[in-house]
Amino acid sequence: MKQLLTALFLALSTPLHAQVQGVMLDAPEVLPGFTFENELGESFTKDTLTGQWTIIMFGYLTCPDVCPFTLGNLEAAVSETGMRVRPDNVPKVVFISVDPARDAEWVSEYAKFFHPEFQSFTGTQDDINRLVEATDSFYRLTAPDAEGYYEVQHSSAVSVIAPDGTLRAKLQPPFDPGATAEFLARLQITYRRENS
Amino acid sequence: MMRSLLAACLLVPLPAWANGLLVSDPMVPMAPPGVMAHAAFLTLENTGMDPVSVVGVSSEGYRMAHIHRTVEVGGVATMTSIDVLEIAPGQTVTFAHGGLHVMLMHPKGPVGMDDSVPITFNLSDGTTLSFEAPVKHMAHGS
Repeated sequence: MKQLLTALFLALSTPLHAQVQGVMLDAPEVLPGFTFENELGESFTKDTLTGQWTIIMFGYLTCPDVCPFTLGNLEAAVSETGMRVRPDNVPKVVFISVDPARDAEWVSEYAKFFHPEFQSFTGTQDDINRLVEATDSFYRLTAPDAEGYYEVQHSSAVSVIAPDGTLRAKLQPPFDPGATAEFLARLQITYRRENS
Repeated sequence: MMRSLLAACLLVPLPAWANGLLVSDPMVPMAPPGVMAHAAFLTLENTGMDPVSVVGVSSEGYRMAHIHRTVEVGGVATMTSIDVLEIAPGQTVTFAHGGLHVMLMHPKGPVGMDDSVPITFNLSDGTTLSFEAPVKHMAHGS
């Protein structure tokens, strides 16, 4: 109890700009198999995760506010992380569209607008649902209106996958670049300790 | 001196104003090519003596426009449409990330850097407030 109070005290007394930007999982989460693709013929599968740090974000291309803001901030956060970790440990950012019906035709264009190495994919509803569930994420397509227009609700947090392919952490908005980079660097140190 | 001052004034976009409602700092963040929805951000200030309501929005360059509010509940982001936005005398309403934005749907053509997006607010008394929102890169960082 005392520990909890101390933790609470520390959390409350920490200045806003240094607030925790993510949550490390108590135990790594093994992910199910999945295959996502884009119109360039590139693919993103469970095997892609091996040997690299990956940040997975779910969203949709018709998203005017949250998705561009998140990817813009992740770009800044990943650049910051590059100053703290070895080049091969800089996370790869992957955007998965949960709206394949509207986005499949041009999905590859989206993430690379924010950084040339960011990639975006989409896939079948089964693959989307499986990975969304395994990463404790959420999305929902709202009922279409008279013109067939629908909106998409989705988790604002993103998932951090370690080089062994397991889910290790969730990053939460506002994705302050410095604090997020600090969190990712600490996560990598923890990971190396556990695996050494 | 006077002439250069005048020239400088002409270079600065004039603030849009109607019924005491003042638009400042409008911008459309540059979006990835081909996306079907853009956002416009701005500040609206009611400098008049009476409340003013925005009851609609349109843009020539887009098939549809709405005022939307991003709401995050339990880590899930969702958008709600705002039909009437009342602004009290002296009140300033900011359209910014994570809150209000003008949702611009289905651009009729490509929208590139430094383009200007014309936007018109319809006010409850039947008047309109038109302004241009320049397309800019949105700054991210600590």
